[in-house]
Amino acid sequence: MNGLEIEHIVAVVLGVIVVCVALFALRNDWKTPGLDNQVFKIMLGLLALGGVLAALTGAGFIGKS
Amino acid sequence: MAVVSIPGGGEVDQLYAETRALRLQGFLLFLVSDIVLFSSFIFAYLYLRNSGQGWPPPGVTRPAIALGAVNAAILFGSGATMHYALENFKHGKFMRYAAFMISTIILGVLFLSGQGFEYYTLYVHDHVSWSGSGIFGASFFTLTGMHGFHVFCGIWYLTILLLQSVHGVYDKNKYFGLTAGTLYWHFVDVIWVVLFSIFYLV
Repeated sequence: MNGLEIEHIVAVVLGVIVVCVALFALRNDWKTPGLDNQVFKIMLGLLALGGVLAALTGAGFIGKS
Repeated sequence: MAVVSIPGGGEVDQLYAETRALRLQGFLLFLVSDIVLFSSFIFAYLYLRNSGQGWPPPGVTRPAIALGAVNAAILFGSGATMHYALENFKHGKFMRYAAFMISTIILGVLFLSGQGFEYYTLYVHDHVSWSGSGIFGASFFTLTGMHGFHVFCGIWYLTILLLQSVHGVYDKNKYFGLTAGTLYWHFVDVIWVVLFSIFYLV
């Protein structure tokens, strides 16, 4: 296994972890009131999107090299 | 100083209760101004990119996508740890808070190290530079450099917040500084979602 393959695997694993954690946090905070919490929800949603992008890139489905 | 009750239990001084919403709005406006700053650079890059012939220009190498994906996942992971740092602080679990906060700072440093390695690779091996590779090099180094500077400031910001919380500046009823720090760190993450997409994915 070379360095490039390791980078791809690490990106997929970390990306999946980020998506799971972000969605779990989003579910837990879904009903919390307050302006700051509404912003946090948007941020967590975008964080989950970022995790999806990183995982898909690591898996080779998207991205140009 | 007069003490007032807050929703969800607990008491804070009246001045804090009265000014928290205003300070939150002020901090959100600061983040909006930063969004405007990044947006202007991003739209300039997209305009230049779509008005040229081919992208990246001939002879210019794209940054390595696998390293970029790992770096992105590290930064997004730091957003998750920062979120749980704040949650644990709210619930009075100080040791867990400190562990998540330190993890966030370490992940931020790892991200900057990865970016430094990427710059080194591009500059030394692929001969892509800020001034010598046309619009692509200028856009890439300006935008990612500006973002990297925000991450660098964020690392110091979180370090100061951690030291302040160790010295008892915040408690579980009064922690606006930590909320602002978390908002800032999430903002830095979200900007990278956009930059990662435009430089590595499309």
